[in-house]
Amino acid sequence: MQVSRKYGVLIAMAIVVIAGIAAVPSPRKDYKNLKVLPKDISTKDLSRIMIDEFEDGLGVSCGFCHAEEKDSHKLDYASDEKPEKEIARLMMKMTLDINEKYFQVTHPLIGDSVLSITCMTCHKGQPRPRNPE
Amino acid sequence: MKNEKYISVDENNDGIDRAGFLKCMAWAGTGLFCMMSGGVMKSFGMSQLIDKNIGALKKGLILPKADFTFAQISDSHIGFNKPANPDVLGTLQAAIGKINAMPTAPSFILHTGDLSHLAQADEFDTLDQAMKNAKTGKIFYVPGEHDVLNDNGRQYLQRYGKDTKGDGWYSFDYNGVHFIGLVNVVNTAEGGLGVLGNEQLEWLEKDVKGLSSSTPIIVFAHIPLWEVYPQWGWGTRDSAQALSYLKRFGSVSVLNGHIHQTLQKVEGNITFHTATSTAFPQPQPGTAPAAGPMKVPAEQLRSLLGVTSVNYVEHNHTLAITDTPLIATKETKMENQ
Repeated sequence: MQVSRKYGVLIAMAIVVIAGIAAVPSPRKDYKNLKVLPKDISTKDLSRIMIDEFEDGLGVSCGFCHAEEKDSHKLDYASDEKPEKEIARLMMKMTLDINEKYFQVTHPLIGDSVLSITCMTCHKGQPRPRNPE
Repeated sequence: MKNEKYISVDENNDGIDRAGFLKCMAWAGTGLFCMMSGGVMKSFGMSQLIDKNIGALKKGLILPKADFTFAQISDSHIGFNKPANPDVLGTLQAAIGKINAMPTAPSFILHTGDLSHLAQADEFDTLDQAMKNAKTGKIFYVPGEHDVLNDNGRQYLQRYGKDTKGDGWYSFDYNGVHFIGLVNVVNTAEGGLGVLGNEQLEWLEKDVKGLSSSTPIIVFAHIPLWEVYPQWGWGTRDSAQALSYLKRFGSVSVLNGHIHQTLQKVEGNITFHTATSTAFPQPQPGTAPAAGPMKVPAEQLRSLLGVTSVNYVEHNHTLAITDTPLIATKETKMENQ
């Protein structure tokens, strides 16, 4: 009787652990070239950053930074062929630095709602920020 | 207590009466109701056809006889949750409700892309569940650029791409009309313009080659196949080549989404039509610094419902955008809004 109760507890614990693991959004593991964004970022968080920060913030689409695959019209997301991608990395670092140094945001992350400064702050939907009037 | 920030009464008969719904939520929930008669397509905005109070056609409206009908909805963006519309599922369901309220169930529905906002499995699942409530024979899809994020459309193809070619393009015949679903979002050109690509163009040329010139053609894709506003990527770089294959046909209709507003243009034998979103509005071409989700004040809500007429002038070239035909009687006079 005692043995079966132990098994019951163990099975219940295993169910809780498995359910917990299943509830956490699984990070995509085949990102090959993330240098500023967290390497274990989930597809959802990465997609949200691409849409909110870059598509809406700069008014651009994926091909603005991402090069095409060789012999294909599809995008090679890992490629660094287009210089715009490295500029985007520099801009993300700058944004994080500003938030940390001047707005006291600890451990700032691109896409985090606590950021005071985002891409949109300066770009306002344009690929290149306009000169201040 | 009256709170002017919120819409508490469905005064506009637009399906939006949920307490706490932000006044800037604007609309959505409309779709396009299309009728084929003698090979010619007529389209109507559903917000102006359905009286929500009685769940049927507005009093005095008489729909002409049709060979068959179908509906178009677009840009559902399931997963979007910003102030422009924090309840995109609710407005999609409202659109489906309008389809279900039509006196004749549409033979099928065309969804012209951006089913999801971030191409996530749970977003596609939610859309699928909602679309199951639509009273129709079948639902045909083409992807929007939001459906192919990160994986070049692999997940979209697994879910919706059965029996399609390449990135998900296909054609089918219904009641003598040839329907062509094109994909112009898997890559986009500089500036965000859509791209069809050589492989798809070659397929299209072959697909229509054997058809009689009297065959009515309906093309549907996400990004407009005409240059609505290239500065915002509202056009398709190689659409001219695609349309050249369709010039010999007597009746061609092209249905798109992407720009979240209704525009129509007639060019020779081809009628172009873009649909409203079921999620959130976007600014009219050139009226804002950039395209994107648009928050609107409540008093502008009516102007975003149903069919909108837009005059667009760019670089001294005036596009002849025509009003979408409406059926009205004296009892229910409707104005273009």
